[in-house]
Order: sequence, then C-alpha cells, then structure tokens
Amino acid sequence: MSDVPRIRIADVHKSYGPLEVLRGVSFDVHRGSVVSVIGASGSGKRTLLRCVNYLDPPNSGEIYIEGEPLGSRIDARGGRKPRSLAEINVMRRELGVVFQQFNLWPHMTVLGNVIEAPIRVRKLPRKDAIAYGEDCLRRVRLIDKKDEYPARLSGGQQQRAAIARALAMRPKAMMFDEATSSLDPELTDEVLSVMRELAMDGTTMIVVTHEMSFAREVSDRVIFLHAGIIEEEGAPAQVFDAPKSDRLRQFLSKYRK
Amino acid sequence: MSDALKQSLDLSMFWEYRAILWQGLIFNVLVFQFAASVALSVGLGAALLRVNRFLPARIVGTLHVELFRNAPDYIMLVWVHFVLPLLIGLVIQRRVEFHPFISAVIALGFVYSGYFAEAFRAGIQTIPQGNLDAGRAFGMSERLILWRITLPQVVRRMLPEALNLFISLFKATTIVSLIAVPDLMYNVSMVIQQEMRPLPLYTGAALTYFLIIFALSSTARAFSERWRQKILA
Repeated sequence: MSDVPRIRIADVHKSYGPLEVLRGVSFDVHRGSVVSVIGASGSGKRTLLRCVNYLDPPNSGEIYIEGEPLGSRIDARGGRKPRSLAEINVMRRELGVVFQQFNLWPHMTVLGNVIEAPIRVRKLPRKDAIAYGEDCLRRVRLIDKKDEYPARLSGGQQQRAAIARALAMRPKAMMFDEATSSLDPELTDEVLSVMRELAMDGTTMIVVTHEMSFAREVSDRVIFLHAGIIEEEGAPAQVFDAPKSDRLRQFLSKYRK
Repeated sequence: MSDALKQSLDLSMFWEYRAILWQGLIFNVLVFQFAASVALSVGLGAALLRVNRFLPARIVGTLHVELFRNAPDYIMLVWVHFVLPLLIGLVIQRRVEFHPFISAVIALGFVYSGYFAEAFRAGIQTIPQGNLDAGRAFGMSERLILWRITLPQVVRRMLPEALNLFISLFKATTIVSLIAVPDLMYNVSMVIQQEMRPLPLYTGAALTYFLIIFALSSTARAFSERWRQKILA
C-alpha cells in the first residue's frame, strides 16, 4: 500500500466561464511529505486547493485520496459515476483545511470550533472529542484560550485555533491556503513554527504559500504554478537555487532582497 | 380636575374586574405565542427560498414576503376569518368555519412571517462565505451548516430587529377582539357594555399593555445584548 500516494491530483482542469484557471495539473503527495505550491497571484494556487476538496469541483480530472477517487465512484463494471454531495462530504473530512482568513465560527468558543466537526461529522462522543481537541490545542499552544471567543484573539492565535480545528478531525492530509498571508509580519512566525512542527511530526501537507524561506526549509517538493499549469517542480534546493525556467527565476527574484 | 378626567384615571373598576380581564390577557399571550411560532417558522422558510440558488424558489419567496408584508393586519384578519373558509369550502364542497383563535393565529402569523423572512434573509446574507466553506471543508452537510453555523449567527444578528417585531406582534394581538377572540380588549368591551364607564377601563387596558410590553422588552434587551456582543468583534 505504501506506494499509493496519500493524495494524487490527476490532470485537474478548472474554468470559470471563459477563464481557464487550471489547465491540467497533476502531482502526488506521499504520506508524511510536504508539498509547497508557489506562484504569483492569479496562477491558480488557491483554485487548486479548492478543487482538491471539491469546494470548487474540477471540470475534469480527479483527486484520489489513498487511491480512492474523491469526486466519482467506480462501479462493479469499471464505469465511473459522480458521487453525491453526501458521499463527497465523507471523502472531504479526510482533508484538513486551513484558510487564509481563518474562517473560525465566531459564535463558538475556540474549543467549540475544534470539537464541532468531530462531534457532528465524525460522531465522536463529546468527551473524546474534547480530550482530543484539547490535545490539538496544546499542540498549537492555545490551550489557555480554549474558552475564548475568536473575536478576542489575535490573528496569529485565530490561525493557530484554525489549525487545531483541522487537526482535530484527524485528517489524512492538511492543506494550508496562504495561512499567513493575512497576518501582520510579527504574527506569522508563531503560525509558521506550528506548521513546521507539524511537518516534522510527519503530517502530510500541501502548503500554498508566499513564505519562500518556509517552503525551502520544510518542503520535500516545491511546485511552481504559472497560468494554471506546473511550470517547474522539484526538490527545494533545485527549485530555489537552480531554477530552470525564466518565469520561475523572475518570480523568485521578487523575493530576494 | 374635571370629572371626566378624574373618572378616567380611577382604576378601581379595572381592578374590580381583574379576574375576567386577566383571562383576556392570557388569550393575548396565547395568540402571540402561536402567531410568533407561525411567523418564525414560515418566515424562515420564506427566507431560505429567497436566498435559494433556483430562480423559481426565489420568486415564490419574494411573492410571499411582498404579499404579507404589504397586507394590513386588520384586513388579513377579516379575510382569513370570513373569506378563506368560504374559498376552502368551495374547493372541498363542505361548509368550513375557522375558530376565531385559529384565524387570529394564521392571519397574524402570516403577516409577521413576511417581516421575519426579511430579518432572516438580511442575517443570512451577512454570514461570510468563508464560514460556510469551513463547514463544507470538514464534511458538514448543508443542513448541519444551516443549523449549527448559519442560524445561530443569524439569530444573534437579527435579535434587535426581532425583538421589535415581537413587540409589534404583541400589540397587534389587540385587534383579535374584532373577530371575537376573547382577549383583554374584548373583555374590556364586555365590561364597558355592562358598566357604561369606558374611560377608566380603556385607560386600565392601555396601562396594562404598556407595562407588560415595556417590562418584557427591556428585560429581553438587557439579557440578549450581553449574549449577542460576545461574537461581534
């Protein structure tokens, strides 16, 4: 089983009307590995993540979680049938998402946010959900804020709470959608260090980011997206130190000061 | 002080009839309770139609809101009590009559469902898309998202307006005496016919309504505001 990738993204296309945002993106994410996706704004990074968990279903192509197609089912005769929303919901819970804008639910406490989906979706007994939720909050160093409402937390604390919320579902992989982009510079470090620890603990991660030093340090593989296709990919050392394409060189030069 | 004024402020007669008036007030509260339940549930349904992706649903929702928001309470009450049973009777070929209490609940419930629908809709539309995306990303069904994420926030946001609507609805229950629901005003009129002293009785009724509404609304506000503020940054 170990050669089946945790997540396989296979030839994903996505258009909004006449605008083709993704033009055939494929890559694998193996268990315990971290793949960073970089690229200019408008390159399709965010759309890619939204396609991976079907928040925006791809027009064609498929996502596989441990070999199982997310958006379709293969029936006995080998034909493909699109999954119902309820079935997609079952697949989706295997992917933890951390959003740029945190998207915490403001009417629930931090712990309330963390245990909501485990209780309602995974049907975990409340006691177990709280115990594991508190573990997750300890991992992101936010246990002392568990009874606060999100509005009373700093941006960095809110984002760490959002990470704990995603972890609490025990997902097969975590996806980070520019998790630090809406934070003040002095708050990004506390979030990045939590993400770094997750990576070192062997969490499977897809990280869409503008933090190049983070991507270089933590990733096993870096993907440079340009105009909806993978322009270049490889190990971080290769992508950052010996970029082959002009576009990647140009893109990286903006981050070297 | 003129005699008329003195008489109108003498509430001893109102107090004397307190038992029967109290019974009437209970009817006001009952009509209010049932009509409020109808208004809330039908209003929520109409609001969900109004924010639906499908155009026909949106049209039905909008028609509902416009029809009932623009219908005067009194006309609706009379129409539901006298005309609607005739229409239903024509369809099912049988004589139909509504109990006045039922007519009052339907009429007021539907008129206020138009207002509540708008309050719900406005609240639903302020919920950021990201809140819903987060729910979907964790595999929550649309139903679960509605009950656990959207509505709890909507209720907090619409609370001040909802309290005003409840107050209006409670005031509106005073017109149900027109179709012979034995509410406070109805009983007041009965006593007046007997005693021929309308002034103190009407004053007493006015004061009673004022005190009840004032007490309830200020208590509700005080309690709801603290709870509401927690989530608002």
